[in-house]
Amino acid sequence: MICAGIDAGSRAVKIVLVDADTLDVVGSATADQGIEQDALATRLYEKLLADCRLDRRAVAGVVATGYSRNAVSVADTTITEITCHACGVRHVAPEAATVIEIGGQDSKLLRLSPNGGVRDFAMNDRCAAGTGRFLEMVAARLGVGLEALGDMALRSARPAAISSMCVVFAETEIIGLLAAHAPPEDIVAGVQTAIVKRVVAMAGRKLAPPVVFTGGVALIPGMDRALAAAIGQPVCVAPNPQLTGALGAAILAARQRRE
Amino acid sequence: MTDTPRRITLEEWDARYAELRAGGLREPAYGGPLRRHLDDGDLRLARLLYDNSAASLRLWNFLLTEEERLRQARAGGKKLVGTMKDLGTVPVMAYSLPNVVAFYPDGAWWLPCVMEMSTGMLEVADSLGIDEAFCPVRAMLGAFLTEAHFPIPDLLTCSVGATCDDFSAIAQRLEALGYPILWWEAPSRRQPDPGEAAVCLPGGFPAPQAQVDFVRSELERLRSALEALAADRLHDGRLAEGIRAANRVRRLLAELRRLAYKAEPCPLPALEMLIAEMLAIHFCSDRAESLLVFEDLLRETRRRVDAGQGVLPPGAARVFWVNPVADLRVMNLLESCGGRICGTEYLFCHALDEIPEDLPPMEALARMALADPMVGPVADRAERICADIRAFGAEGVIVSRIPGASHCATEGAVIADVVASSLGLPVVEIEVPPLSDSMQPTLSTRLTALVEVIREGRTG
Repeated sequence: MICAGIDAGSRAVKIVLVDADTLDVVGSATADQGIEQDALATRLYEKLLADCRLDRRAVAGVVATGYSRNAVSVADTTITEITCHACGVRHVAPEAATVIEIGGQDSKLLRLSPNGGVRDFAMNDRCAAGTGRFLEMVAARLGVGLEALGDMALRSARPAAISSMCVVFAETEIIGLLAAHAPPEDIVAGVQTAIVKRVVAMAGRKLAPPVVFTGGVALIPGMDRALAAAIGQPVCVAPNPQLTGALGAAILAARQRRE
Repeated sequence: MTDTPRRITLEEWDARYAELRAGGLREPAYGGPLRRHLDDGDLRLARLLYDNSAASLRLWNFLLTEEERLRQARAGGKKLVGTMKDLGTVPVMAYSLPNVVAFYPDGAWWLPCVMEMSTGMLEVADSLGIDEAFCPVRAMLGAFLTEAHFPIPDLLTCSVGATCDDFSAIAQRLEALGYPILWWEAPSRRQPDPGEAAVCLPGGFPAPQAQVDFVRSELERLRSALEALAADRLHDGRLAEGIRAANRVRRLLAELRRLAYKAEPCPLPALEMLIAEMLAIHFCSDRAESLLVFEDLLRETRRRVDAGQGVLPPGAARVFWVNPVADLRVMNLLESCGGRICGTEYLFCHALDEIPEDLPPMEALARMALADPMVGPVADRAERICADIRAFGAEGVIVSRIPGASHCATEGAVIADVVASSLGLPVVEIEVPPLSDSMQPTLSTRLTALVEVIREGRTG
């Protein structure tokens, strides 16, 4: 039998199918989030099943997670992204003691207990300065795609100082930097540094190694380097970081089925 | 008629009220259906979940009729004292005089929530330069200027000094608008120096006797002012009787907290317990009636505990809550996410402790005022929170910030660190604005995640 995890995030919907017995991934899919979140998730789910030559009867359980988890009608139950990311990361990186997840709308710090559960967690609130939204803003302002930001940051010789703790104010700073002819590469690198500083400020206390970096923002080259520099220890990017929430949801669906 | 405890909507209360009336419910003069308060503009009531007992109905009606009670008191010739930034000291003194009623203008901080911003009180504060960088208690300025929510008191007192920077600024603005204030200073509590004369305060923290002496001298100024206002003597005998009466309320609340926070299943919802704790500070403008309200609530809670009944399913995650919420709805949300309250520290835990009855009254009141968690080091506050968490058996902690409130901004992280390192419990910080509807998904995620972590910890 198959179990499914649907991570209905603020920026994208991600779905992972796992074999309920072996927990091997049998398929995955992502799509940009939209207004009709349930319809979007359902369409993506059905397309993924079709691509994997499966139908709904093959699915023993569906867990939804993420910001819009309660809107996903095909799900049997919901579990928060805190628990799902912890589970997903532990599956791909069993040694993980700390998880930093930066998504489109929020960022999280999870401290894991030796048995893999969440011991404690923190999330940003109100401010988007520690999230992918910040990167979207700078990409739009610079007229480049998100995928270009990593290479741009790597070319920076002197990251710009972005001092605002608020994305809206930071945008004003960026306009000022552009007016002062600051290289776009330096601005991007400065934004990356500002994001990780915000995350580190949220983390507050010492981070137990190993630290695993996950979430969609972990896909952007250079973010892991900036994060490692900010926390003063190596950071390992989870495989398929955008999918760890959905993977955890699928695994938890499989566990629920066993119970 | 069913007496099975459960949480119900305002809509359901309509039918429940009719059912209780048909069953012979006897109510005080301020009784009646809850819905009438909605019709009066308390719009938030339509979005809350309530306990379905007659005792809780009385509690809500008592709370929501305070303005009428104050106006009646004035019409009856009583003097009104607004005791600002005072968490339980001056009201005890004021109620020791037969013709004085004290109330808590700061209570207006909940009006933006209860009336869903419909009164524009925060906008009034904005226009006076007290913007959202300040605690929502700034709504009090609007309440004074509009005179729509409480009568202007005959005497206004305000503690200042170590209590709260936000409130000092707001109250100073109020005074500048033509509302004279009798200020009294609460010093920053410190550890006694070696060899320095010291006393043990209610709650167990030590303080230099010199600081207690200073607070006592400040309270003596208040005593004189109250005597002048009432044209009556506030002698020690009256104060001692006032302290005993206050302690009767505090003992009832202490027993209510013990039952509500420790019994399984949870016998009384978080929201009603929050209201009860808040009422105990100032007696909601009628000390004698507050005693009856608490007796009712305690009786109902005991009945439920004895019957093994609760308002939530057994096994709810046991959460200790730090700081009051600006939006009452969030207390409902915790329970809807699978949690329950097992202990609280709403910034006035000292006002829940009994006032010493074996000391001269002014000395006892001074010690109690100095035990205020807002005037002491945050480490003291965190220590007390840890002790209460142990006593109530909480499994996780919510530190709830109030937007703009300086104490919350500076103390939350320290409390979270101390609790996590001392007790190894998960701690989550959230921020709750007066209307949190747009934030419900993110708040729900945090609260649900805490519940998940707690449940996983039970099995792991």
